[in-house]
Amino acid sequence: MNSNISYREALEKYTPKKESSLPPTTTAKGALLEEFHPDYITECRTTLKSGVNRGDSCHTQLAELLQSDSRINEANLAGAETIETDVLVIGGGGAGCAAALIAQQNGARVILATKLRLGDSNTVMAEGGIQASLNREDTPQLHYDDTISAGHNRSDPKLVSKLVLDGPDVIRWLIQQGMQFDLDEFGDILTRRAGGSSADRICFYRDYTGLEMMRILRESVHNSNIEVWDYSPTVELLGDEQGGCSGAVISSLQQKRYIQVSAKSVIIATGGIGRMHLNGFPTSNHFGATGDGLVLAYRMGVKLRDLDSFQYHPTGLSHPNHLTGSLITEGVRSCGTWLLNGNGERFIDELSARDVVAAAVIKECREGRGITTEDGNVGVWLDTPGLELRSPGILAERFPKLISLGKKAAIDPTKEPLLIYPTLHYQNGGAVIDVDGRTEVDGLFCCGEVSGGIHGKNRLMGNALLEIISFGRRAGLAAAERKKLRHNGQLSIEHLNQLRRELSEENLSLEKQGPLLFPDYAKFDLDSDYSKLRRTQKI
Amino acid sequence: MNIKDQANRLLLHPERRFGADLDTWMVDVGGEGLENALQDPDSIIPTIKNAELLGLGGSGFPTHIKWSYVSEEGLNEDGSRSTDIDKYLICNGNEDEPGTFKDRILLKETPHQVIEGALITALGVGANQIVFYINPEQKGSLEAMEEATEQWSDSTLLQRISTELGRPLELFVVASSGHYIGGEETAALESIEGNFPFPRGKPPYPAKAGLFGMPTLINNIETIANVSHIMRNGAEWFKSLGRGSSHGTKIFSLSGDVLRPGAYELPMGTPLQELIDIHGGGMLLNRKLKAVFMGGPSNTILTPKDLDVPLDFYKVQERRSSLGTGAMIVVSEGTGVVRRVTEYISFFAKSSCGQCPSCKTGTYYAAQLLTKIDSGSGSQADLDTLINLTKILPGSGRCHLLDGAMKLLDSSLYHFMDEYEQPLLIDKTVDNR
Repeated sequence: MNSNISYREALEKYTPKKESSLPPTTTAKGALLEEFHPDYITECRTTLKSGVNRGDSCHTQLAELLQSDSRINEANLAGAETIETDVLVIGGGGAGCAAALIAQQNGARVILATKLRLGDSNTVMAEGGIQASLNREDTPQLHYDDTISAGHNRSDPKLVSKLVLDGPDVIRWLIQQGMQFDLDEFGDILTRRAGGSSADRICFYRDYTGLEMMRILRESVHNSNIEVWDYSPTVELLGDEQGGCSGAVISSLQQKRYIQVSAKSVIIATGGIGRMHLNGFPTSNHFGATGDGLVLAYRMGVKLRDLDSFQYHPTGLSHPNHLTGSLITEGVRSCGTWLLNGNGERFIDELSARDVVAAAVIKECREGRGITTEDGNVGVWLDTPGLELRSPGILAERFPKLISLGKKAAIDPTKEPLLIYPTLHYQNGGAVIDVDGRTEVDGLFCCGEVSGGIHGKNRLMGNALLEIISFGRRAGLAAAERKKLRHNGQLSIEHLNQLRRELSEENLSLEKQGPLLFPDYAKFDLDSDYSKLRRTQKI
Repeated sequence: MNIKDQANRLLLHPERRFGADLDTWMVDVGGEGLENALQDPDSIIPTIKNAELLGLGGSGFPTHIKWSYVSEEGLNEDGSRSTDIDKYLICNGNEDEPGTFKDRILLKETPHQVIEGALITALGVGANQIVFYINPEQKGSLEAMEEATEQWSDSTLLQRISTELGRPLELFVVASSGHYIGGEETAALESIEGNFPFPRGKPPYPAKAGLFGMPTLINNIETIANVSHIMRNGAEWFKSLGRGSSHGTKIFSLSGDVLRPGAYELPMGTPLQELIDIHGGGMLLNRKLKAVFMGGPSNTILTPKDLDVPLDFYKVQERRSSLGTGAMIVVSEGTGVVRRVTEYISFFAKSSCGQCPSCKTGTYYAAQLLTKIDSGSGSQADLDTLINLTKILPGSGRCHLLDGAMKLLDSSLYHFMDEYEQPLLIDKTVDNR
């Protein structure tokens, strides 16, 4: 890696070009992935020793968390208040809001508990857009084929078929809620092509589609009777005698106490794991993406799938250092931006699936054709000046968020290329669900990134935003159905005793506690010495 | 013998748990006890008496006394057994006590052990109708028993019993309503008669006027399961299974904060410490033992100083507790006793049939007060009321539900008064501020 070209030298050599042809591929897709994609690093994999996935392959960091001890025991619950409801939604991102809204509209009493604030989520990070087969040349069948093939045939076909068929209705619903999309001169929704797909299918609003989506969802939630609990991470689920889920233990950070919620159905919509920084990668994820839902569900006995598959987004910012990991939307590549190595050459079809592009970037950097900054970060060029040269004005018009990112980085993307490197972006796998978001545990639903099966081994751009609304709504509807049950279940933490028994029997350490709730580096201690963090110089 | 190997040697023997398969049962140990009983039906009750078999459903009442009462009912003037008066045997499998899970294993995994025991019992007391009364909410019990009784239908052994009885012996499998109270003797009678399981007043005792007004014997599944083995190997052998001065074995349903919870059949008289440490694998995460809810929660609580108690009906009684169903709910330091008691009293409040006003309102009121105290909003007056309830309520209900609930409450107040007072104290400091 040290033989890479230095940032300054590469920048001097760089000139935006009008035309450039793609060099012939030297490595086959499969071999490229196997050699360079982080999912394939064998040292980072282990076999789970406890729980329903016993014997399955899993990333070591995730395994450590799945096989950790609970944060609570009975003593914590002595004196805890119990609040009753029909549906408890855990997570205040897009999936959680969609589920809560639909459940509430179907007559259920809903509590939405979120770890941070409503809308603090990866939904707002989604820039590129949302997939839905609206275009005249497009069909749900094509969408289905693209999704399955991008996922390396590892997706659950039933889930994918529901996803693609829901697509157009999801867009209609979002517009009804007040969401805006970029339109053409006739007022039709503009679409563009995502990497790895065969038709123009991405609907978008500038390059902050997710932010716009979250805006309207948050407003809808605030204008409903949904009870929203901010700063209320869920630390554990509660079970009944029959092994079903009957509620959750919520830690109220503001009141500094535990609250037990007794619910007829619980929907987990906690999102992904980016902030675990698997393999030391930077992440594009928001602060709360610590994989809590996976841990909670796993302890209740929900089977997880594709635990060794994560998405590394090819274009995370790599320079300057303080913005490392920030996401640059795939939309930029969809519009025709090239990726150039240190020598100014293209090296991969930029519109290949994300895992392939990410692996290709890592390959360039590892084989000495990358660019190294003074901080030691590596990467390749995202040739935005080239795009500007070919379609003048497009960056300012379509990608205001990119321009603003450029301002923060003191780089003008219309004149200077951006240094990018893959960033940990998405958890492809997750809890096994059916078409209504039901897990195998009675009364427990999962939707959004925490669930698995839709994206197989690799996700298409824009399918995540579609998934959270499509399956969020499905889970909300199915969860609301259960309000007809006569009683709320009994509340017990016997499943935690079972967990501790299993961990003891397997001689696993009980020192680490889960769920993580917050990244390790965020846990401040009053006694810590912060003098080193204090700024000594004026900038 | 290694102490660990003392577990599951008779009723729960791993090789005996093959489900509804009569042929395998006959190849194993089946038929021998019944054959002995058929050779000399008059020896059945004396053998049970010599074996000193006790009621294992919780009472610990000598089985042979109950049997003799029923046996002496329905006689002709000359002392011979009447063949006109129906006589019933009810095998009570309505197990629903929190923390108890032994009968369901016997029914599901060893149905023929239960059935053969019941046949011998019927022969001994002259019953011509056997009812297996089973909780339908336990998965598999009902199905296994239905299949197993069907397998006996053309057995020659069954025909020989009928000949001996002078009339056909009939077997019925009846699903209970699933109510907790349906396990009470007289409530079971009502339930089988097709009514809501309201316990009846006593007397008359079921032995005189039970099911449909006929003489009826009611025994727990575990008691019945022992019968064929006693008839097979004799009373002395059965007595020798116990430890020290105790006889036979007992199935303990171990649950709570231990490493390996489960059903363990151990020699009667095994110390509590051995059950927890050796069979149960010790306390979970090496936590400290705080209390044991013994015999199901309708009972007094044992504390660590009672760990040496030999688990035997009489020895446990000496500690002012009772063995009950053999449920052992182990609780470690860090568990809130008030919350546990609240859960159990709420369970009793929900399970009360509502027939006796003192029970209906008493359990409900106690549960309300407990919830209040547990959630930190109780006052000293609430606690005083609670204490008063434990004094005035016992004995005022038809059955033992209310007594059991109050026994638990009283015992927890006795051992853990500080935990009841603590949430009240917090309340005071708030007021002072």
